Amino acid sequence: MKINKKIIEELVQYLKEYNLSEIEYAEGSTKVKVSRSLSGSNILSNEVISSKSKVAESIDSSEKVTSPIVGTVYLAAEPGGKKFVEVDQKIKKGQTIMIVEAMKTMNHVPSTQDGVVSKILVKDGDPVEFGQPLISFK
Amino acid sequence: MFKKILIANRGEIAVRIIRACKEWGISTVAVHSDVDKDSMHVRLADESICLGSHQPQNSYLNISALMSAVDVTGAEAIHPGYGFLSENAHFAEIVTNHGIKFIGPSADLIRKMGDKVEAKKIAKQYGLPVIEGSEDDVTSVAEAKKISDKIGYPVLIKAAGGGGGKGMKIVNKTQELEDLFLLAKLEAKKYFNNDKVYIEKYFLNPRHIEVQVLSGKNRTVHLNERDCSVQRRHQKLIEETPSPIISESVRSDLLTRTTQMVEKIGYEGAGTVEYIYENGKFYFLEMNTRVQVEHPVTEVATGIDIVKEQIYIANKGDTALTQEDVVARGHVIECRINAEDPSKNFQPSPGIIKTYHQPSGFRTRVDGAIFQGCKITPYYDSLICKLICQGRNRTEAIQRMLRALDEFVIEGITSTINLHKKILSHEKFISSDFDVNWLSKETFY
Repeated sequence: MKINKKIIEELVQYLKEYNLSEIEYAEGSTKVKVSRSLSGSNILSNEVISSKSKVAESIDSSEKVTSPIVGTVYLAAEPGGKKFVEVDQKIKKGQTIMIVEAMKTMNHVPSTQDGVVSKILVKDGDPVEFGQPLISFK
Repeated sequence: MFKKILIANRGEIAVRIIRACKEWGISTVAVHSDVDKDSMHVRLADESICLGSHQPQNSYLNISALMSAVDVTGAEAIHPGYGFLSENAHFAEIVTNHGIKFIGPSADLIRKMGDKVEAKKIAKQYGLPVIEGSEDDVTSVAEAKKISDKIGYPVLIKAAGGGGGKGMKIVNKTQELEDLFLLAKLEAKKYFNNDKVYIEKYFLNPRHIEVQVLSGKNRTVHLNERDCSVQRRHQKLIEETPSPIISESVRSDLLTRTTQMVEKIGYEGAGTVEYIYENGKFYFLEMNTRVQVEHPVTEVATGIDIVKEQIYIANKGDTALTQEDVVARGHVIECRINAEDPSKNFQPSPGIIKTYHQPSGFRTRVDGAIFQGCKITPYYDSLICKLICQGRNRTEAIQRMLRALDEFVIEGITSTINLHKKILSHEKFISSDFDVNWLSKETFY
């Protein structure tokens, strides 16, 4: 069989253009597959950049309590129940401020300091990331 | 045979069901939440539909969205997998009422087996040994005291609508009874919206043994037992077949009586009857009316594809299997690989799998839905895959499992692989000298 270099070249072009890792092309009984490995370091560095920008966004002067774990945040112990903390409430270090559910495990998030709640920065049922601010103090 | 099946689940069990459908020549519809759009079950299915956001109640538990997905895709049957809606009688009823086949038993049987008091009555009526305790739900402290005195402490107070260890209270002495009884009722009401509780004798060192059945309108066959006594927080971690600790006579009695009970209640599909085993005796615990996580243990031992049989029975009504077809070979062990850190009290460990290499080789099976670069989100169960190894005997199965665990590489998250190595090399596991409470007492880290 004669290899049609042109097809391959064209496919390689598409791979680069659209940043794909694999492309397959068939015409009649001829099938051409071109693939390349997107290097691990590339993927990793993207992530570092995105987490850096997140940190930059969250820099402001007020004190905050951040999520110790990735998961879904709940403001009350049960749906429609009394919230753990409200705005303007005076809270103590160690007091539960929210629950973060991760893989069906309920994790109580304690306040890291004494203070008066200025803002609640998440909504009930929101997905939260590790280190994401949950409440801020006055 | 069905032309198209919708799989109302995610993760490794959805992949497992898609594989069975493909082998039957059935088209598959995957459903998923927004965060699962790139997951393996979505990639492998012929069609996929997004049901809603990451929270289970908006997606995998969202009955109206699921019914719309059935409508849009023209699926003829729904396979519920395990967890989520698999034992929800209300869902089974809705599916059936819409002329769609629910792959599992009738809504009526799901409901009866879901009520632990009712299930115990049925088991007793059809000749299974049950745990000594109240016949019905217990309503007053006086009644609770009378029953507890009769069976002797410690006793266990359980919620009729319960499961997963919630609402269970161990009472060690009569002085503790009143407070714990009232608390159990309160919790049962809160968690299950049903304050019915009942009392049973509490077992200190039980093994957990269960019997796999497949049942059609024509007959019921058993696929032997599984021993699932390595547990953490009431959840199984390692399962094996056959049970290394029961005698041949006890075993044959258990299998016969289980099969008879399941046949008499008119059960359809795959099911598991769970028992507590202590001091040479069995006691009915509950019946799971669905496929179980650990079903591959039995599949590997018997060579019978349980999920394909489920689909066959759902379609034909009958099972093609006879008891003579079920011939188990050697010893099989399954290790559950969870995304959690055993050294930190099994703390969840979501994240991105940076490097993934799965073991293979002789009699080595991996059931999973993960791959290099995939994201393990914190929104669902921590089970990410299962490793199943068979040996000519238990010793070889353990050796093979240790060999396979050594090959297994999962980087980027913490998993239970390392703990499994420690357990399988532990003299207590090797000599099978343990019970369901073993892991909580042993120090591995």
